[in-house]
Amino acid sequence: MAVHSLTVKKIISRIRQSFPDAPENYIMNLINEALVELGKYSTKVEYAKTNSVADQQWYTLSDASSGVEINKVFRCDFMDSSGEYVKIPRLLDGEILTMDID
Amino acid sequence: MASTYTYPENYIAWFIKGNHLAIVTTKGKTDGTTHSQLGQYKPIDEAVTNGLLIHYYGEPNAVSAITDTPDVDNVFHSSIIDYVKSRLYQDRAGLATDGNIAGVSLNLSQVHERKWIEATKKHGANKRDKTGGTRMIRLPDFT
Repeated sequence: MAVHSLTVKKIISRIRQSFPDAPENYIMNLINEALVELGKYSTKVEYAKTNSVADQQWYTLSDASSGVEINKVFRCDFMDSSGEYVKIPRLLDGEILTMDID
Repeated sequence: MASTYTYPENYIAWFIKGNHLAIVTTKGKTDGTTHSQLGQYKPIDEAVTNGLLIHYYGEPNAVSAITDTPDVDNVFHSSIIDYVKSRLYQDRAGLATDGNIAGVSLNLSQVHERKWIEATKKHGANKRDKTGGTRMIRLPDFT
């Protein structure tokens, strides 16, 4: 437990010092807006594993279908023959000779 | 299935286009089939269970109950108050029929907006960084 952290309840009570009539749901929506904005700068590092599929080039990073909420991918590892994950390089230009479209 | 790549770093690469991650390999035939030769990038040729480990910056979870704690480092918690207040002052300025109230609200909105920007963008990197110690290389003085 952090030394000091604010719950939504504490945030609402502080805001109500200036805005006594501000609706709770509206404040919560604004807090979520702030969190989306903070997500752009936050360094909440997470990991996810997925299966590779033979002859499939593209893997969707969509929040809805993959179940994870990814802002930026900064590293990928691939499993080697002994089961260890090894960092694979990022192809900078992404322009390869053959390009699948799905 | 398990991987047959002994040194995946020598063959496999990744890149991103839009919302899609591409995994490609240079493994292939040394002769024969067009555009599947060794050294040319093509889709990964193996199905490996949990073969990919992706490291990423995730989005904070949304709050849905008053007992929730915002899913960001606690140094940003007080800045969230500034964000909310700046929006609420904007609303008040928009709804006010008195020009003075609107003007004061707009000023206060900008004060909180500046504090929010300062906390998240201007000094955000210092707050997020968990690296301690000196931020400069100090050369020893041999004289």
